[in-house]
Amino acid sequence: MNEFKGAVIPAKSGVKKTIIDLLEKALDKGIFDAVILPMEVPAGDSFVYVLIKDKSLLKDAFLLPPVMFVQGAKAVSSVTRLGEGNLKIAAIMRPCEIRAVIELAKLGQTNIENMTLISIDCPGVLPTSDFLNDPKKSMQLFDDDAKNLDDKIMRPVCRICDKSSMVSGDLHIGTLGAKKDTFFIISNTEKGEDVVDKLGINLKDKIDSWKAKVKNISEEKQKKRKKSHIDLKSKTGGLDNFLDTFSQCINCHNCMRVCPVCSCRLCYFDSDKVKHPAEDYLSRAERKGSIRFLPDTALFQMGRMMHMTISCVSCGCCEDACPVSIPVAQIFSMIADETQALFDYVSGRSVDEPIPLVTYKEKELHEMEDAND
Amino acid sequence: MTKALKINKNTDQGVQEFLKVLLENNKVKGVFTLKKISKDGSIAYSLITDPDQLNDAVPFYPLMPVNAGKLLSRFTLKGSTKKPIVAFLKPCELRGFVELIKREQGSLENIFIISSTCGGVYPIKMSLNGALDKNLSKYWDTVKKGEISPDLRPACKACTEFIPYTADITFDLIGNPELDKQCVLFLNTKKGEELAKDIKGELLEKKIDSKKLDNICNKREIEKKKIFGELETKMKGMDGLIEIFGKCIGCHGCSKVCPICYCKLCGFENSDFEYKPSNYEADFRKRGGIRVPPGTLFYHLGRLDHISISCVGCGSCEDVCPVDIPISIIFKKIGESVQKMFEYIPGKNVEEEIPLITFKEEEFAEVEE
Repeated sequence: MNEFKGAVIPAKSGVKKTIIDLLEKALDKGIFDAVILPMEVPAGDSFVYVLIKDKSLLKDAFLLPPVMFVQGAKAVSSVTRLGEGNLKIAAIMRPCEIRAVIELAKLGQTNIENMTLISIDCPGVLPTSDFLNDPKKSMQLFDDDAKNLDDKIMRPVCRICDKSSMVSGDLHIGTLGAKKDTFFIISNTEKGEDVVDKLGINLKDKIDSWKAKVKNISEEKQKKRKKSHIDLKSKTGGLDNFLDTFSQCINCHNCMRVCPVCSCRLCYFDSDKVKHPAEDYLSRAERKGSIRFLPDTALFQMGRMMHMTISCVSCGCCEDACPVSIPVAQIFSMIADETQALFDYVSGRSVDEPIPLVTYKEKELHEMEDAND
Repeated sequence: MTKALKINKNTDQGVQEFLKVLLENNKVKGVFTLKKISKDGSIAYSLITDPDQLNDAVPFYPLMPVNAGKLLSRFTLKGSTKKPIVAFLKPCELRGFVELIKREQGSLENIFIISSTCGGVYPIKMSLNGALDKNLSKYWDTVKKGEISPDLRPACKACTEFIPYTADITFDLIGNPELDKQCVLFLNTKKGEELAKDIKGELLEKKIDSKKLDNICNKREIEKKKIFGELETKMKGMDGLIEIFGKCIGCHGCSKVCPICYCKLCGFENSDFEYKPSNYEADFRKRGGIRVPPGTLFYHLGRLDHISISCVGCGSCEDVCPVDIPISIIFKKIGESVQKMFEYIPGKNVEEEIPLITFKEEEFAEVEE
């Protein structure tokens, strides 16, 4: 783990209130012009990201909503995809959302020049459909379970997430291992240090208890992750299992459109390239006696896997959006572990690490080459 | 008087045999229908060329994984099929296909259309974990009695357009108590008669029993009133719209599965609609906070504007909505009122032009200033 600098922040009035107060102060002092934060919708059945300039709106913000309806990176990208603009913006999100912002920045889909990225210790999120069944009750359940670090009711990928406190943005809010009525602010970049400095916070406190707790949790999750992946591989590995797993897929491509990393405006699999003359479909059918129509469902899944798993942040949004409940996030997240390990890459770890698939190295992966070459 | 063919077999067997004869006699080169595609019973639309594989065909299975009109459009998008095929579609799928043909997104040439009076389909979620299979016998009981099955797609419960308009052949399903004993198909067109020529059965001069169907239509009208009424109380004015669409996550799944939404790149995914940083800065002069990504309600209103004239009320949009917005009912309700204004029934007649692309000098004078 990096040598982070940190500060213990007293929070007599509660963690949320203290953070909101700090954000207000930052807006007042002009450290930020606006912040991106989750807020509850008027109907109380959802949470959305809002770009807030008027500090009076901050009191309604939610730092850790119980669900992830929209991946935060999508919100950030919608604000800064076409340039950094004149506004200095702070975004407070879960670690996997901040990591996706960093991937999108590397993919040229968001400009974080004027942004301060702030992550927060994450207990996971509830599956969208579970939440919608009873928003009020879910909220209560989430609060209780988050407090007790119980992940049974969270998204399956959250239950095995070993990066729920990963620091890769500018600042991080640590609640794990903190004494009562306090939390940690941890800085990861010069930009982050500058922000807290302007807020009059000194980064010279020990954060060992946070580090120890985070290490403990992520090691535990890694064990669970390994076990769950062995299980999942036996169920979905190999061509037959793979085809069975995706046999219900209806080609709606919801998974792709909610994915923070899938940023193509027109996906190859929606393009003219996959539209064929009637005769082609018929001759394909004749060869096998029948084809599913549309064909190539598995090709889409494998294509998407190839295109995005190197940057997959295991947020789980794809699985929540799947109308036929395919465990798509669990599968993609498992494959992502392997593709990323192959290149010693962790998606969203650092903005300075180039994405392997767009980086040419002459000496790489020799073991994949033909032995006779 | 319409001709009808009576086959003395139950409907499932009758239809499979019918299709086998068509393929074996080379009348058609392919059959487009729902088919079991995996051990675990997944059902998907398939293009079948081998007569033996017709054993897995389930043309009347009460499920619409994808609106088949959209699929046939994909099949014929690059030009009509040279080899004849026969396609099974539910009435709203057929109407969807006809609307797409009007938009130059497909062709009916060399396609024999078979449809049926439709008892409705279940939400796609029911097809998972075998729940739908368990319901099947109950479903067919209610169809035979001409009643509305509980748990159907809301759009199906409220559907009064369950008789196909432009099919070559129509299977008589709802309100038909003899489904297990015999199979009656109405030959609506010359194409349909030609197709049924080689099939063993009794040729009758018979019309579909309209009284029986009127009865069912009335039941659906009552259900529709109820469902529309529930929506009206929720969706009043701008606040109601915001309340209902507030949880939309912007996946645009509704547009991707819609048989009418055919644009390769939707306007709402187009760079023209993308907010620039300066747009946000300008917006901040008017309000202190902006939902991001922006344009949630705008998207739905825009889509309503674009497609309501042709909405066939199939319910596919609602099936894929990850946050359970009652979108099919909203679109169906608004669709019907727009269609009424233009006296237009989408998909009824392939020759009839879409009102929104038809200029009439004297029209809607009352909405003018």
